[in-house]
Amino acid sequence: MAAIITKLPGLRTGLVWTATHRPAYQRTGNPLNLYVNLRDRLLHTTSTQQTWTPRREPTHFLKYNKKVYPPTPHGETERPAFICHQKANIKYSPDKMWYVACLVRGMKIDEAIAQLKFVNKKGAVAVQETLEEARELAVQEHCVEFPSNLWVSESFVGKGIVFRGYRRHARKRFGKVEYKHCHYFVTLEEGEPPEHYYWHRRPLTPQEMLEEWLESQRRRIIPGTL
Amino acid sequence: MAASRVPVICRFSQFSVKPVCAASSCHILEPRTSYICNDPNHKYFGTSTGLSGKHYNPKFKRDRKLKFIKIDYPNLNDNKDVDDMTQDEIRAKMKERGIQPVRPWQEKPLFISSTSDTFEAYVPPEGDGKISVTTAAGAKQKLELLGKKGKSMMAIRELRQFEENFEANEFAEEAQQTYIDTHEALIKLDEDRLHQLVTERAYPGVVHEVKYKTLRWQFVKSLEPPRVVQVRCTNMITKENVFAQVTVRFHTQQILAVYDRFGRLQYGSEVVARDVLEYVVFEKHVANTYGTWRIHDKIIPDWLPPRSAIHRTYRKEKEEEQQEEEESAEPKSSEELQKPATEQTAAATN
Repeated sequence: MAAIITKLPGLRTGLVWTATHRPAYQRTGNPLNLYVNLRDRLLHTTSTQQTWTPRREPTHFLKYNKKVYPPTPHGETERPAFICHQKANIKYSPDKMWYVACLVRGMKIDEAIAQLKFVNKKGAVAVQETLEEARELAVQEHCVEFPSNLWVSESFVGKGIVFRGYRRHARKRFGKVEYKHCHYFVTLEEGEPPEHYYWHRRPLTPQEMLEEWLESQRRRIIPGTL
Repeated sequence: MAASRVPVICRFSQFSVKPVCAASSCHILEPRTSYICNDPNHKYFGTSTGLSGKHYNPKFKRDRKLKFIKIDYPNLNDNKDVDDMTQDEIRAKMKERGIQPVRPWQEKPLFISSTSDTFEAYVPPEGDGKISVTTAAGAKQKLELLGKKGKSMMAIRELRQFEENFEANEFAEEAQQTYIDTHEALIKLDEDRLHQLVTERAYPGVVHEVKYKTLRWQFVKSLEPPRVVQVRCTNMITKENVFAQVTVRFHTQQILAVYDRFGRLQYGSEVVARDVLEYVVFEKHVANTYGTWRIHDKIIPDWLPPRSAIHRTYRKEKEEEQQEEEESAEPKSSEELQKPATEQTAAATN
């Protein structure tokens, strides 16, 4: 087909151009060229320079929002609605953000936002914004009726892009400066939060304490006995 | 007397009992620096080391700043979305990077394999045409139906020029199969199959709000055999370019249950079968040799009773509420003009 069209004088130059710029089309025999073939097909070759560099954002976490669960059988407890949301590339250290992320875990949404207002850290602003966005999205898109009936079931931090800079030291030495960015991830779940978010850290009841003590007594090994 | 003159020094200065007179015995007990901490205007700045991250001597602050080699790293947080930027902002950014403006996209997608409307949409008679002919309304309805039937006969004649073997009864059976296949494709959200069964005009309506939901649909039985109620033929642009539209009446029993993303029942039931009366418009580009009969429209009459409520409630969007308020406010405004000003303000606040 291409050979026939190239005989037309007007189209000749255009097709020669494509033939020289996309040679990967013909190289289908070698399996090693498969990647090259795919890459050249997906990339549009019209302009090499883009106005904006593509944003590097984590994509996996938001895919949980697209998962469709099978219908709950009649009589069983319904699965609570949840929403995953993220804020990518916040100009803040992930190490510092960890403290803010830990603070809101297991809180009701209104309580979490109220608490964050009193956290005197830069990261708290980003976290608060993310929570408010997530709450809005939950009502609009994820079948949640009451925005207050949500709690923070997951809240964690990811490491974002790090730009490296330099700092002069004495005697012609230099040190590395890292301009860190972080991602913040949050999951809001419908309903009431559990009494103890960290189950293993819950205060034990007297009965449980007794059982634990008995178990430890039974398990001990007394040397030199029968 | 001597006991009352002994000062009780407390950690908090306001609670410490001070001696009434500055006797010689007083200043021995009080520390020498007490005048500093007792002075409300005294300000003390200690040498801060470590935690604050600031050098205690601000003298060479500027020189220390110059030690950092400045790098120009992009601000990842501002102007996140190109859609939110104004034209001037985009222009400034492109100028900064030295990029030519992109040519605007001027192509408009146009489908010529289906029409964009239903021609002379069939109006289902109220009460399913069971009104007695002896009443005035019944007689009028019957006459109208007769007139429409004549038009349908003419259209069938035109249609037979392209499809010689067109039989209304056979077609109704075929249409029912298409109807069932469409629902089955919709449950799987098989887009390729749906495009074979549904015209481009009907497609957005068919798949509306279906994504991320689970549908359980079953065709139980046909209560009455499907029937062709109206046939229309229309030509577009040229005389030979003919589209045919056939309205088919389905009276069936179906089961429908809609579950949301989390598997919670939103609408219907998987157990209860319901009677469904539907008028579905099928369309074919008969001038096209490879044209197929596809679902084009569903006729919803004005007299249709409202649907049963959904199981779960939801919050209305703000925009709709605002529009409703504006609409409701408009007829009021003419009445309010006649009222005194005080009442107007009261109405506005309410």
